[in-house]
Amino acid sequence: MSRVLIVEDDVAFRDRFGAILAKDPAFDVIASVGTGADGLAMLDLHKPDILLVDLGLPDLSGIEVIRHASRTLPNCECMVVTVFGDEEHVLASIEAGASGYLLKDASEESFLSSIRELIAGGSPISPIIARRLLKRFQPDPTPAKSAPAVTESDVSLSDREREILLLASKGYNYPEMGKLMGISPHTVTSHVKKIYRKLAVHSRGEAVFEAHRMGLIRSM
Amino acid sequence: MKRTVWGLSAQCSLGRLGAWRICRTTIAAVLVLFAATILTAPLVAQAQTSTQDARLRSDTHYAPYQVFDRADFVQSTSLAPPPANADWKPVDLPDSWRKNQRPRDNYGWYRLRFKHHGGDHTGSDSGQRALYISRITNNVELFLNGSSFAVSGRLGPHPEESWNLAQFHFVPTSLIREGDNELLIRLHPDQYARAGIAQVYLGDSAALRPIYNRRYFIQTTAPQLITGVLVVMAVFSLTIWIRRRNETMFLLFGLMCTVAVVRLFHLYLRDTPDWLAALAVPAMCWLSVLQTCFVLHYGNRSLPVLERWLYIFAATISAVLLAAAINNWYLAATSAVYVVLAVLTPVLTVVIIYQLSRNLSRGNLLMILATLLTSGFGIHDFVNYQEQLGFDRLYLIPLGLPLLLLAVAALLIRRFVDTLRDYETLNSALADRIGDRERDLADSFARERELDQKRAMADERQRLMRDMHDGLGSHLMSTLALMKRGHLTQPEMESVLADCIDELKLTIDSLEPVERDLLVVLGNLRYRLEPRLMNAGIALEWAVVDLPPLDYLDPENVRSVLRIVQEAFTNTLKHANASRITLSTGIDRSANRIWVRVTDDGRSFDQATVRAGRGLSNMQSRAARMRGSVEVLPVRGGGTCVNLYLPIQQPG
Repeated sequence: MSRVLIVEDDVAFRDRFGAILAKDPAFDVIASVGTGADGLAMLDLHKPDILLVDLGLPDLSGIEVIRHASRTLPNCECMVVTVFGDEEHVLASIEAGASGYLLKDASEESFLSSIRELIAGGSPISPIIARRLLKRFQPDPTPAKSAPAVTESDVSLSDREREILLLASKGYNYPEMGKLMGISPHTVTSHVKKIYRKLAVHSRGEAVFEAHRMGLIRSM
Repeated sequence: MKRTVWGLSAQCSLGRLGAWRICRTTIAAVLVLFAATILTAPLVAQAQTSTQDARLRSDTHYAPYQVFDRADFVQSTSLAPPPANADWKPVDLPDSWRKNQRPRDNYGWYRLRFKHHGGDHTGSDSGQRALYISRITNNVELFLNGSSFAVSGRLGPHPEESWNLAQFHFVPTSLIREGDNELLIRLHPDQYARAGIAQVYLGDSAALRPIYNRRYFIQTTAPQLITGVLVVMAVFSLTIWIRRRNETMFLLFGLMCTVAVVRLFHLYLRDTPDWLAALAVPAMCWLSVLQTCFVLHYGNRSLPVLERWLYIFAATISAVLLAAAINNWYLAATSAVYVVLAVLTPVLTVVIIYQLSRNLSRGNLLMILATLLTSGFGIHDFVNYQEQLGFDRLYLIPLGLPLLLLAVAALLIRRFVDTLRDYETLNSALADRIGDRERDLADSFARERELDQKRAMADERQRLMRDMHDGLGSHLMSTLALMKRGHLTQPEMESVLADCIDELKLTIDSLEPVERDLLVVLGNLRYRLEPRLMNAGIALEWAVVDLPPLDYLDPENVRSVLRIVQEAFTNTLKHANASRITLSTGIDRSANRIWVRVTDDGRSFDQATVRAGRGLSNMQSRAARMRGSVEVLPVRGGGTCVNLYLPIQQPG
């Protein structure tokens, strides 16, 4: 059974999420809170398996909560609940360590199936985000400006991952990609998740590199 | 006084009255002549001082030497001393043969008588007697009491041409008698060179030696040193000119130095070759001409016509003199040329002063001064050449030349430095201007960019407003109206709100950067719609090929495409009762267009309904705005096909 923490300031949605999750015995909602500070406290206290977090919290950004979770609880799956699933918000969440996102207006079934998919190791990816990631992971043409070694081997894309992003950007879904690449849809989803992790590391590396360049960190 | 004039001339202006200019020029000229007198006085004075000293001393009992300003003279063809009863005539010393119009086809004898008293010597006397003559035709033999004791020059049929050498000879003590003594000097004149003798000094060698040394330096060593300096300056200037042919001034200056060197040879060469002697007077002529041209060039007042005539004049004179040298009327020709030069020099000086005084800059003033100085020297030397100033009188031009040329060199160097400074100033000014221009450009670019951004923002805002107004806004308004009248059931309400949210999502998606890639736009629509299609039990087949980038795919056009395709899907969902939808893309290169096709396997549409429906006309007007088109066709065996055609490049 997966223990779920919900951080959402809108009571109606908080209740709705609780109600949907209560219908599946695989999930156990251990806490529902309305502020980021409470969310952080609950994370430390209960160490949940799944975090559902809204980005627009009254006290701090949901991004902060995700970052805290991914840093302190590496096994916790973080999911962002967003209204539009727009690129800016989703990318920022993935960079902070989220592995997927839910749309607030999703139907009960798709809501649950998305969470189940996530636990099974799959993350969704939209064509626009796939395209953006392709660009993000492109080898930097100016090596002097690129981040230190960490970006080179650890967070560069494999050929397969690159192919997946390319197909995703053209609108193919996971089963179609699997068929085109001769692998199972499940493998495709786990690749996507790996890409998300790399993005998080990549952005952390960039942050460290930036800090190093600005003289904030003396040595690594 | 002098400072005032300089100060005034420094603020020179072209706008002043001509009278003032002439007045100022006159003042300057007077000052320059004054300065020239001051400058030359010591030279001349020095040469004469010893004479006065000696005269003074010869009156006293203790004089270390005596000066003979009178002698007895006789001309004879014999090499032996003429007898006492020959035709001796008293002459004044210095004695010039030309002035006294003596024939040159025999020897001249000068007899000087003096008394010697052994006990007259003071304690400072060295006891050694010596003879000093400041200038004499070099070919001489000296006799004391009938015995020859010294020879100088060449005493044959071809005597030396030298006449500018100071002589110093020891007098053998053994030949000197107590009481009356007789000194004889035999002089061999050259046919053309100056002939004559200066005053004769006889006395203590220790006292005469320094006088001789001084005179020798001024008369012989100084011209040699000056020649060295001139050669260096000539080489320097001509080298510069060879590298920079348009710097005419350096050419003129180099030639001036060269002809000056030629001019100076005869002053210290004892045996001048004929050809070199023949060049000396033409050199004088060229010096005068080149100097005039140079000064005019220096003052930027070059007069091409006058200069051309001057060159022709100098060339003609040179030719005439060379012909004269060959044909043995050189002496007469030379005299004539000197007269011409003596007339020409003041004229040229006036021309130079007139031209340069139009802009009395410091450099021009210095040039005027130098010109006045050299023409003054020239006149002095001309008079000297006419044997009006004494045979031993020094020539000033050779000694004045370095003064002039050094002044010129200083001016050239200053001009050179000024040019360099101008160049540097120009460079830095240029750099400044480029910098300014770059800043201006950057500023205007920034302004333009800002303007562009503002315009783009305004455009986008207008589009969004229109969208909100026509789409979401009116949708919500009509829903509200329906609700108020209680006509809306809850499912209807849900559907309306879901539509509104779809509308919002579509707008947001259209704002994502897709970089002209239509496939991403379509893919994203699929990503949005697929859950709903799956819920409706409709399978979506994705059969796309890569499409070329569409340059006109801005947010507004993305929105149009999305609306058209979404409309096609919605129609299928609402009316077709289909189980399968296929979205395919393709390129029609021959028609320069791409196509997006949405096909379903449901109920075929009713042509009339579709044509009348707002949906299709909306789709078509949206496509038309992108220069594209939409067609809706029935599929054989059931189903509908919606084709959207879009141009690859929008004309214009």
